[in-house]
Amino acid sequence: MTTIVVLVVLGALVLWGINVYNRIITLENRYQNAWSQIDVQLKRRTDLVPNLVETVKGYAAHEKEVFDNVGKARAAMTAAKSVDQSAEAANMMTAALGRLFAIAEAYPELKANQNFLMLQEELSGIENKIAYARQFYNDAVLQFNTVITTVPGNFFAGPMGKTKHVYLEVPEADKELPQVSFGAQA
Amino acid sequence: MSTAPANRPRIPDTITDPASGRRISLLDWQAANRRASWVLAGFMVLLLAAIGYLLALALDPGAAWTFIVIAAVLAIGQSLAAYFLSDKLALAVSGARPATKDEHRYLVNVTEAVALGAGVPTPRLYVIDNPAPNAFATGRDPRHGAIAFTTGLIQLLDRQELEGVVAHEMAHVKNYDIRFASMLAATVGAIVLLRDVVLRGLGFGGRSRRTSGGGGRGQAIAMVLLIVVLILAPILATLLRLAVSRRREYLADATGAYITRNPEGLARALQKLRDYRGTPMRVSEGVQHMYFTNPVARLNAVSWLATHPPIDDRINRLRRM
Repeated sequence: MTTIVVLVVLGALVLWGINVYNRIITLENRYQNAWSQIDVQLKRRTDLVPNLVETVKGYAAHEKEVFDNVGKARAAMTAAKSVDQSAEAANMMTAALGRLFAIAEAYPELKANQNFLMLQEELSGIENKIAYARQFYNDAVLQFNTVITTVPGNFFAGPMGKTKHVYLEVPEADKELPQVSFGAQA
Repeated sequence: MSTAPANRPRIPDTITDPASGRRISLLDWQAANRRASWVLAGFMVLLLAAIGYLLALALDPGAAWTFIVIAAVLAIGQSLAAYFLSDKLALAVSGARPATKDEHRYLVNVTEAVALGAGVPTPRLYVIDNPAPNAFATGRDPRHGAIAFTTGLIQLLDRQELEGVVAHEMAHVKNYDIRFASMLAATVGAIVLLRDVVLRGLGFGGRSRRTSGGGGRGQAIAMVLLIVVLILAPILATLLRLAVSRRREYLADATGAYITRNPEGLARALQKLRDYRGTPMRVSEGVQHMYFTNPVARLNAVSWLATHPPIDDRINRLRRM
């Protein structure tokens, strides 16, 4: 009789442990997957940039500094290895593109160019997707951090080698740029 | 990188329950709503089985199980049909055509963005050629989600407002509102079908059976009960369904505001739909409840017969978040 009780209690404990363990792994996968969603958008944006630069150059070739900034951001983007570096390069790119679109306002012919309009919509769409994907990423990190720092997850986090993850944040300067994310986060 | 998510204003993930006035967490409410859905659906199946039983008592007590099984099969068949076909039917009835990226780049981009924020697959997108601004969602789960927008809506709303509407519709799919509503509607349909068969059959079978003397009091009582249930059940079920529908509109608004972190966008979209004075959309009664606001203005109201809460009330709730 006693043996059965002990076995049942042990079995329940094991099932409970598996449950908590799986929860932590699921949440970790979720934020990692959320990051790859951001990464997909960053790559798409990087791919569109040369096309945009070519189009704008046709009308505003002398705005050299702007093109240089975009070029630097693109180089940083391509060279980025870690999440930190990608995030930093992405912020650079957002700022550089913001300036480029601000300048485009001064060129009516450019603004009437169909290819430019298409690229502008695509890029502001991507900007918007990055903002949303980043928000989901931060939500996922928040959930993960909450689970591994509260009972019972905190008993498991240590042995599993899980520590709190950091959030992604947009630099303050970004929010002031008027042109980039068309109404996405005002 | 920093230690706190600060890229968007924080929207409380709690909502005031319209029924009790208490503030509860959005996730708790979603869970409660889903539970309530299944309880209600189970109740409807039991009700149908009970009707089958009454029918058996009234006509042929020996074959009680046959009647129960027939009623249950009818209910399950209708539910399965609703489960698998409701989205195709809804899209076909509304005259929606698939939205292509070339034609509706803006709409596709907005929807893909909101889907990323909500953490669900991008729903299939459809367009309805109609100047009245409106939208609806369908699909039994997030993997099979679809949203249809009228061309009027796409033209009328700016990006933030459109995001709000997309997020509201996505919330319906995410909260499994559509699965529940279509399955419940199917069960009500099954009851109505039984009612019509029985009431029509009464004129002949019922009378001749009673004169043959095999019936007795039990059978007569069962027959009266059956008729009362058959007449009341669809009415009560419909009222219940409408109450659930109104409540779920609030929930979808709150969830939508949470997904976009921008209640104001959704509030402004509702305002624009409220103030629209053009030709109203003509939508058949069976699908009115699916829309973002009911195409029939007076069915957005505090009323037992309304599918949606009053638009002003929805706007005020969003502005208070």
